[in-house]
Amino acid sequence: MKKKQVLAAVLGMAMLAGTIPAAAAEGDAVTLTYFNADGKEEDPWTNPVAQALTEATGVKIQLTFPVTTDAESVALMIADDDYPDLIFAKGNAGDLYDAGAYIDMEPLIDEYGPNIKKMFGDEYEKLRWSADDPGIYQLSYYELGHAALTTSGPAQIQYGVLKENGWKYPTTLAEYEEMIKSYLEAHPTTDDGYDRIGISMTTSDWRWMITLGNPAGFIADAAPDNGQWLIDEDYNCIYKHRTEEEKEYFQWLCRMYNEGILDPDFATQTYEDYIAKLATGRVVAITDAMWDYQEAQTLLIGDGKLEQTYAAVPITLRDDQTCPSLQYQGMGVGWGVGISKDCEDPVAAIKFLDYICSDEGQVLIHWGVEGVNYQIDENGNRYRPEEEIQYQKSDADYAKDTGVGYYVGNGWPHYSNGVLDPDGQPYTTVTTDSLVAEYNDIEKEAVEAWGVTLLADIFPQADEFEALPYAPMWAYQKPSELSETEDMLNNEIAWPGLVKCVIGTEDEFEANWQAMIDELYANGLEDMEAGMTAFMAEKIAAVE
Amino acid sequence: MWKQRYLLLMSVPFLIWLVIFKYIPLWGWTMAFQEVKPATFSKPFFEREFVGFQNFAKAFGDRLFNQTMINTLGISLIGLVVGTALSILFALFLNELVFNRFKKITQTVSYLPHFVSWVIIASIAKNFLNDGGVVDTMLGTRLHLMSTNSALIWVVIVLIEAWKETGWNAIIYLSAIAGIDQGLYEAAKVDGAGRFQRMWHITLPGIKPTVVVLLIMSIGSVLSVGMERQMLLSNALVQDHTMVLSWFAYTRGIGNNNYGLGTAIGMFQSLVGVVLLLIANKFASLIGESKLI
Repeated sequence: MKKKQVLAAVLGMAMLAGTIPAAAAEGDAVTLTYFNADGKEEDPWTNPVAQALTEATGVKIQLTFPVTTDAESVALMIADDDYPDLIFAKGNAGDLYDAGAYIDMEPLIDEYGPNIKKMFGDEYEKLRWSADDPGIYQLSYYELGHAALTTSGPAQIQYGVLKENGWKYPTTLAEYEEMIKSYLEAHPTTDDGYDRIGISMTTSDWRWMITLGNPAGFIADAAPDNGQWLIDEDYNCIYKHRTEEEKEYFQWLCRMYNEGILDPDFATQTYEDYIAKLATGRVVAITDAMWDYQEAQTLLIGDGKLEQTYAAVPITLRDDQTCPSLQYQGMGVGWGVGISKDCEDPVAAIKFLDYICSDEGQVLIHWGVEGVNYQIDENGNRYRPEEEIQYQKSDADYAKDTGVGYYVGNGWPHYSNGVLDPDGQPYTTVTTDSLVAEYNDIEKEAVEAWGVTLLADIFPQADEFEALPYAPMWAYQKPSELSETEDMLNNEIAWPGLVKCVIGTEDEFEANWQAMIDELYANGLEDMEAGMTAFMAEKIAAVE
Repeated sequence: MWKQRYLLLMSVPFLIWLVIFKYIPLWGWTMAFQEVKPATFSKPFFEREFVGFQNFAKAFGDRLFNQTMINTLGISLIGLVVGTALSILFALFLNELVFNRFKKITQTVSYLPHFVSWVIIASIAKNFLNDGGVVDTMLGTRLHLMSTNSALIWVVIVLIEAWKETGWNAIIYLSAIAGIDQGLYEAAKVDGAGRFQRMWHITLPGIKPTVVVLLIMSIGSVLSVGMERQMLLSNALVQDHTMVLSWFAYTRGIGNNNYGLGTAIGMFQSLVGVVLLLIANKFASLIGESKLI
């Protein structure tokens, strides 16, 4: 009996103990919860950069991230009416705004945010939500200032293929196809005995937009990334998957599929399968973006398969088109971090964000801790010691463990490559010199053969394009009626429709394509385009 | 009544539970007649805008609605027939096994998948059935099991479900079989009935009441096909044929932040379920079996 009482008492204590918040032991730092729609892993907030941020601001960040898709996480957050303190919601900010989840940051910025104002400078006015509501609900994080030093282009092909062709690179789809085919013919299997695959894609989740949808726009329409939209000179919005050029591109993909060049398994393979496939080096060419295939590239480099890593090539459908990869599209208005109405200490939150926007904060998140991750030479220039660069290259957990660059691109405002601080020093670690110095052997061989400094120099340069008065369309938060219809057109009609066009026979293509177009129009494409054009007009009016 | 007062008293907590968890939430159905979006969600009941049957009209007019109904019924009915048939067959065979230890091991192994989450089952299934997956590789062809946008995917899903649940569902039939009077078997044996004759003339009629009751109960839920299974096994290509009502309610309700619409779809699903249950019950009494209600 006695034993049981003791046991009961112990269990009771344990239950009580479980209810006491664990964070109480952390001293006086304020803990802010942060939802990062792009987050992929836990962040214990223990790396040196995180500690330095806490030291400077008295704020600790507790990260949460989507378990399935970011749209679902945000929808559930709204349904619960329970929000983290800081939110980076990507394309779902409009829903949060409609639900009244954000607070207007403007009064806070006026009082506590001098660095925020300085950082956004001329672009500050663009942060305002709409013509009806001039409040500032999010701080954009993407492309603050710009120098096009790197690009992964519309399509990629293994360096080994280019090398075999005497470092001639394809500029049209036809040349691209020709190069892939002749390489496959000469080398049907890899050294490890795998059958080579011409082109692969992954379309089983939202990444269909990255490997199937976006390249169609870049290659066929030669248009910069505006989500699913093409914007003409008069700012009319046109749904891109209905143009003649795209039809030609998808017909090409269909032919590739039926000729066995395009991976026969592409339609159902998961992203993990796709990356695993790329990492074996058996896929000759892809139509992807660097951030999406980075993992495979790192694995290939780790295995020493440099010739099987991917080179970005500036291909377009016809040779009179200009590859738009380096075109500067301006700051991504609409994607950024906001403070929620549930935040109990918005002042701490805005001060934290202000510190991130300060010169000191920017250097910290980009370069790390002085004396550890970077040094200052006799001329006062920041530089990264050789062992640090080696550490980064050899350890996949470098960013996570040291915090260097770990908080760049996680939704907080940050400068892009090529922007200089008041001392004339770049904020980011990436400069022309650093890029050239860090090229691996095959990349060095490539730039030498092409007679250029940077790999991106083979692309039409940014100054060949006119500046655009609008931000990239994918980033704008559209009113919910528009985004609801757009989601339906994209995810329920275009996605399955396009894949069906590709995996059907060539004879069926015409019918499949027409069926998809008809379905799009039957479900309000015309109204959608008119609505988008009107939305665009409002944005143009705001900047003029 | 007074005699049974203690028994009645003991059932009171369950009545209270039923009211709190099953009847009070029905109040939420009022959302089906209101416009409820995140911005109005936290408002008190009377301050929300009443829209009558507008949510229902929107749901029935949705481009996916008809297809969703067809899918739900298709997958459900095929699943019901295949699932019940396989479970009974399995129970019969298991019952005929004489070697007891083997029988027990088989039974345990067969119902293990029931305890594994759909997330895991789905990824295993996709590994086997996707284009270029294990099955394709073994057969050396492309079956396009998971990439044909037709009713084929219903069959694929039903078979995966059967693999997962047959063993578990057989348990109930096994216990029904165990309840059959052994004297009948002995008499039949004496009369010279063979194994299959005994199965056909004694076992099957013996479990018929159980089968009918279970069928009535499942017909009430033909419209509530589990959403997670459908979502996990689906992909963009076959989406048209995997969409079912509960998932539809979720995408249009939670996904589009239109809770009124989602509630309307969910309410429709429940009401049709009740009607189907009543019909099945009537039918059961017509064919001379005991009614459930």
